[in-house]
Amino acid sequence: MTSRDDGTGPASQVRIRAGLVNRLRQRYPLRSVLLGFAAPIGAILFAALASSAILSLGGHSPGDVFQTMFKQAGKPTPFVDMVNQAMVYYLSAVAVSIGFRMNLFNIGVEGQYSLAALGAAYVGGQLTGGGPLHIVAEVVVAVLVGAAWAGIAGVLKVYRGVSEVISTIMLNAIAVGLGSYLLHKLGQSSGNNIQTKPISSSGQFPGISYSGTHSKIFGFLIVAVVLGFAYWFIAGRTRFGFRIRVTGLNEEAAVASGVNVKRMTLVAMLLSGGVAGLVGLPELLGQTHTFSQTAQSGLGFAGIAIALLGRNSPIGMALAAVLWSFLGKSANQLDFIGVPREIAAIMQGVILLSVVIAYELVRRYRLVLQQKDVAAQLATGEPTERDAPSAPVVTA
Amino acid sequence: MTLAGSPQSSDGGAGNVGSGNVGSGNVGSGGDSSVGGADLAIEVVGVTKRFPGVIANSDVNIAVRRGTVHAVVGENGAGKSTLMKVLYGMLRPDEGEIRIGGKPVTFHSPSDAIAAGVGMVHQHFMLADNFTVLENIVLGSEPTARGALNFGAARQKILALSKTYGLDLAPDELVENLGVGDRQRVEIAKVLFRGARLLILDEPTAVLVPHEVDELFDNLRELKSEGLTILFISHKLDEVISVADDITVIRRGMTVGTANPHSITPRQLAEMMVGSELPSPQTRTDTVREAVVLSVAGLTVADADGRDIVQDVSFDIRAGQVFGIAGVEGNGQSELVEALMGIRPAKSGRITLNGADLTRQTTRERRLAGIGYIPEDRQRQGLILEGSLWENRVLGHSDSPPNIKGPLIDRAGARRDTERIVREFDVRTPGIDIPALALSGGNQQKLIVGRELSGSPVLLIASQPTRGVDVGAQAAIWEQVRNARAAGLAVLLISADLEELIGMSDAIQVILRGRFVGAADPATVTAEELGSAMTGAGSAAGAA
Repeated sequence: MTSRDDGTGPASQVRIRAGLVNRLRQRYPLRSVLLGFAAPIGAILFAALASSAILSLGGHSPGDVFQTMFKQAGKPTPFVDMVNQAMVYYLSAVAVSIGFRMNLFNIGVEGQYSLAALGAAYVGGQLTGGGPLHIVAEVVVAVLVGAAWAGIAGVLKVYRGVSEVISTIMLNAIAVGLGSYLLHKLGQSSGNNIQTKPISSSGQFPGISYSGTHSKIFGFLIVAVVLGFAYWFIAGRTRFGFRIRVTGLNEEAAVASGVNVKRMTLVAMLLSGGVAGLVGLPELLGQTHTFSQTAQSGLGFAGIAIALLGRNSPIGMALAAVLWSFLGKSANQLDFIGVPREIAAIMQGVILLSVVIAYELVRRYRLVLQQKDVAAQLATGEPTERDAPSAPVVTA
Repeated sequence: MTLAGSPQSSDGGAGNVGSGNVGSGNVGSGGDSSVGGADLAIEVVGVTKRFPGVIANSDVNIAVRRGTVHAVVGENGAGKSTLMKVLYGMLRPDEGEIRIGGKPVTFHSPSDAIAAGVGMVHQHFMLADNFTVLENIVLGSEPTARGALNFGAARQKILALSKTYGLDLAPDELVENLGVGDRQRVEIAKVLFRGARLLILDEPTAVLVPHEVDELFDNLRELKSEGLTILFISHKLDEVISVADDITVIRRGMTVGTANPHSITPRQLAEMMVGSELPSPQTRTDTVREAVVLSVAGLTVADADGRDIVQDVSFDIRAGQVFGIAGVEGNGQSELVEALMGIRPAKSGRITLNGADLTRQTTRERRLAGIGYIPEDRQRQGLILEGSLWENRVLGHSDSPPNIKGPLIDRAGARRDTERIVREFDVRTPGIDIPALALSGGNQQKLIVGRELSGSPVLLIASQPTRGVDVGAQAAIWEQVRNARAAGLAVLLISADLEELIGMSDAIQVILRGRFVGAADPATVTAEELGSAMTGAGSAAGAA
């Protein structure tokens, strides 16, 4: 406190910058940042090694396989295909992860999105004109149908104590039957396929062109990006997100701190189902414009894997969705070099397991380090806790 | 309705504790503890166990004579549980050794301990409810004949055990139909079935009602007369004195001496346990004001099965008053607190805070009305262990400043206020971004107390506020509650630590089987009088 300047001089600016660096360093210590990267990178390296070992055992060259896959993914049409698939995976993962944050396992994204897509396709087909409102109506219908279907499981859980795992699995089975019944009832024949009335142009989501291919990136990408941002903001910054986090980590503490856990459970299920309703829309609004029984299935289950892989983080899930989609799409080319494409499914599985294990290892290691820090802090603090008793009593 | 008792100067207890030669009159008279190693069932020599940031064991020495009941007493958090885990092979000591029959042994796991004849009866029963007594006893060491289960032989052995030790077991009864005392006997039989000659009982009476305690003690005498040795862990001094042959006192992880139960009084034993450095919990200056803050009238609370676990309880707490509730655990205290917090519904009765009816309000509304809550189990109800310290600052206070900005969490505000709590409440931590589970119990508790005293509450419900907390943290917590009381805070204090209860409270009510059975004047009552009133033996209970 010997010299004071007016806060605009170069010395002061340097100090402010140093202060910022210090603050960042304090909040995000180098060690903690490195540990944060250690888990995913270690897991992917391990998965690559394990996959190479499996390929070698099968008599294939891992180098050739990886090269073929990367080359394939670099071509324009497969690339667009991969982005579109990743987008759909991402929506599904976000839906699943909303439940995960509350320790709810929404296995029913599958059924929720297929009914939602059917509903949106039907309503979209009935409407004409209306400009952007046409698309808004389709999205709203999809969200409502998805939320309602998930809400059944939510209500059963809250008021009857039925495990959401069981109820959502059963609701998936019901959704399949209900879906084909409704399709027969509401749809029209087209060749030997039944489909809903095609959506007119005002209800179609415009795509984004990509040079070198006629395929378009689904315009729904914007919705996915906005959704990811909203997810990050709500989960991490709002009081509502805090309550979700508390309930997921310690339900009893949540109750004691005034969180209405039943209501939160229901709301989380509805939100999860609402997002799940969006899963079928990129394809519906961007490409097929009609719902039929050939619509893509299995996206809900992929979402579970991707949510796990991405650790419920918006960025993590985006990366995981891209990785998942890359493995799935680029493997198609492997048939041409005589390698079964199923190797991709093995890689997906190995990566998932490696990530789960790596994160657990890093979590434990981090905890040990933190406890050491705390112990060191205690050792340098005032010795009020561990001093010797003043008059130890001795036995004869 | 006041408990009869020798009038005692308000700081008398603290004065005695302060004398350096604690319990010296009893020291060395611990029976025939000078006998040679051959007569010792088990010996603990210089055992030390370190954990980061918590009190464990440091140079613990215990000699247990064969065929005796040997009690190990100490405060919550004194290191009894750690010692038992070391003896049972669940933890490896960093230094020192354990000798059985004079020979050093090393246990790598509980099965090593069992093989050496050491068995443990846990405080929380580990029984399968839908199995029979027989099945539970043999579970894990099933007798077989040529690969097939041989329940016949097991049944014979269990019936023989039951007869020899007076355990009164019905082998084919389902465990779910048994009472707590019976279940405990099944646990004991389980250990005996595996051939244990030394039984470790960890706080065995914590879950029992008084007549079950008597039955347990009869069983223990039976076991002893058959030559078995019992290591009895407890902090209930009158029980220890009635059942033990020898007593070893542990304080802050160290053995501080042995005592002869025939010549020591509970008070002297308490002084040994607590030591001379214990800061006194006294709050004698009168800060009680006129205004009634909390008024409870005719409150009845039912448990999950519909039984009234709190019955027709009425009391008022005034501003600046600490209202203490004394009682053996499980007499309705937890349910009363949960009903006051809105976690559990009130069946009937009325709860008003500063004149406003809270009876039908939610937990959130009650917190916003100014109730701070220190739950009895901090890790279960009071913390998100994986969450950072500042997130734990927000827990339970996510609707009020400085933690919020409109619908958002004010991270900067919450962090600043966490820094303040860490400073003012002396939470020992390297930072506020580490998860709460990295802190020691005492520091976790200081964080909770700091949080609950933030935002100027009008009422603090403090359940076991210093349980399992080291002496330094205990003093700090008392100091903070005392300051808040002086500033007009009303406090409901529930504690198993009677010294704390007597020292901190301005008024005490004794709770027994869900009812208030008598008042005690903290200025005159002694811990022994309060203790006997809690079990229904006291005169106050009879009068009520």
